[in-house]
Amino acid sequence: MTVSRPVRMGLLRLTDSAPVIHAQTAGLFAAEGLDVTLSVEPSWANLADKLSYGLLDAAVMLPPLVLAMALGLRPAAARLIIPMSLSQHGDAVTLSNELAEPILAGGRPDDAEAGRRLATLLRARAQANGPRVTLAVVHAWSTHALLFKRWLHAAGIDPQADVDWAIVPPADSVAAIESGRIDGFCAGAPWGAVAAAAGVGRTVALSSDIMPGHPEKCLAVREAWAEEQPEALQGLLRALLRSAKDCADPANTPAIAATLAQPTFLNLPPDIIAASLPGGAREGVGQDTDVCRFAIPEATRPTLAQARWLLDQMARWRDLPVSAAEADTLATRIYRPDLYEAAQAVSISPY
Amino acid sequence: MLPVKVLIADTVHPNDPGRIVEADLMAAGATAIVRLGAGELLADAVLREAPDLVIVDMARPDRDGLEDIRAISRHDPRPIVMFVDQDDPAFMEAAIEAGVSSYNVVGASLPVLKPVVQAAVAMFRRYRQVETSLHKAETSLREREVVDQAKALLMRQRGMAEPDAYRWLRRQAMEQSRKLAAVAADIVAAAEQKKGGGS
Repeated sequence: MTVSRPVRMGLLRLTDSAPVIHAQTAGLFAAEGLDVTLSVEPSWANLADKLSYGLLDAAVMLPPLVLAMALGLRPAAARLIIPMSLSQHGDAVTLSNELAEPILAGGRPDDAEAGRRLATLLRARAQANGPRVTLAVVHAWSTHALLFKRWLHAAGIDPQADVDWAIVPPADSVAAIESGRIDGFCAGAPWGAVAAAAGVGRTVALSSDIMPGHPEKCLAVREAWAEEQPEALQGLLRALLRSAKDCADPANTPAIAATLAQPTFLNLPPDIIAASLPGGAREGVGQDTDVCRFAIPEATRPTLAQARWLLDQMARWRDLPVSAAEADTLATRIYRPDLYEAAQAVSISPY
Repeated sequence: MLPVKVLIADTVHPNDPGRIVEADLMAAGATAIVRLGAGELLADAVLREAPDLVIVDMARPDRDGLEDIRAISRHDPRPIVMFVDQDDPAFMEAAIEAGVSSYNVVGASLPVLKPVVQAAVAMFRRYRQVETSLHKAETSLREREVVDQAKALLMRQRGMAEPDAYRWLRRQAMEQSRKLAAVAADIVAAAEQKKGGGS
């Protein structure tokens, strides 16, 4: 198979970029005859813009952001498809030491109890006319925002009325907590562990506890590119399926962590990254990070159920400019399990 | 000429002097320029300064904070976001072709910078004019409504004829040096308060 020009893929400095980074460094894309160039971007906005303007063909994306782009909820609307999910879990709720210490006293409680303890702290603050709490997420249309709000709501905290919100990139969260500008954040691995290692906060809840099996990152592809290059897309999916299988195997964690740690990718200590890869234990540095899941097919198959859940959660906290029926039509257009299944069917090994 | 306040967020590193020259922007039509402080988050600066135009380096990770600026505050600065990136000339062309309010300025090269900023400023001015006249139309409609309500109240409560009610409102406004609509709004509000308290 020959492909005329390189496939341009974008990603951010996160553990769950592993399937794409490993596929590149282990030569899995090359084995499919694909010439792939990876671009490590500084923000979700960059990934979204570059997909919109056709400067990237595919990217590791937040599925709510892909849906928001299709709904025209950010300036550059775009037609994207999701032919594969990439991961589950991996997000952590990290609070300032002041808030986290009373919650973690006597060891970390389960996520529901942690939420109740936070609610008690917030009520005490409000009664004492103390300062309001500001919480941060990495993007307005992120799985983090949906899961954080779900956890707060379950604990009896009104995410709209009881707290203030900020958008802060994970790498800036450490400085933002330290300066007191924010009191907590929810970000993808390994940034909770990075904040804890810097001594500015502790993780009180993990997204795998808040909603076991929740969808996290997805592969977003420009619809026009997918239509022009159907064979390249199938090769991409086959390579990513092989890569996901490698990433899901705890035996590969040390090697994959070492790759991700490189300056051109995450540029972070390998032990912090390893704690958020399969097999990572919830002790030491692992206490402050969730473990990403790349299992096949649960974490990789893009299902309509995922799309419906995401749209439902988005509509719960924000106004969506579409009816339930329109949302369903949109979900069917964007989520493409048919393309995933075609790639899985011809993959060389049974997954 | 409408004022155009520009916020520049072009430095990622504390020792980077920045690539955008303020004089270039003034020449291109900006009337006020603010630079993002070191360690300051872009979204905070936008909310505080309410700029009409934001020039932001694509390499800044806090650009994500601009995506939802309307949701995190009722304040609506309507920024036009421009991206500065030395590596990506194609981005600017693509963005301009896409017709969105996002542009990419390459480096500090004046021949490229100037027309792009001018285009953004011109676009902003058109937008602001439409918005201002829309706002005026909405305001005058609301004002007329509240004056009508106040007149109706005066006619009912004090048995005034309509021209007398209007003259009474106008006299009050002149005596208090306030707008007619403001006096009318007070009367409507007082009547509503009375109604609410009595039930």
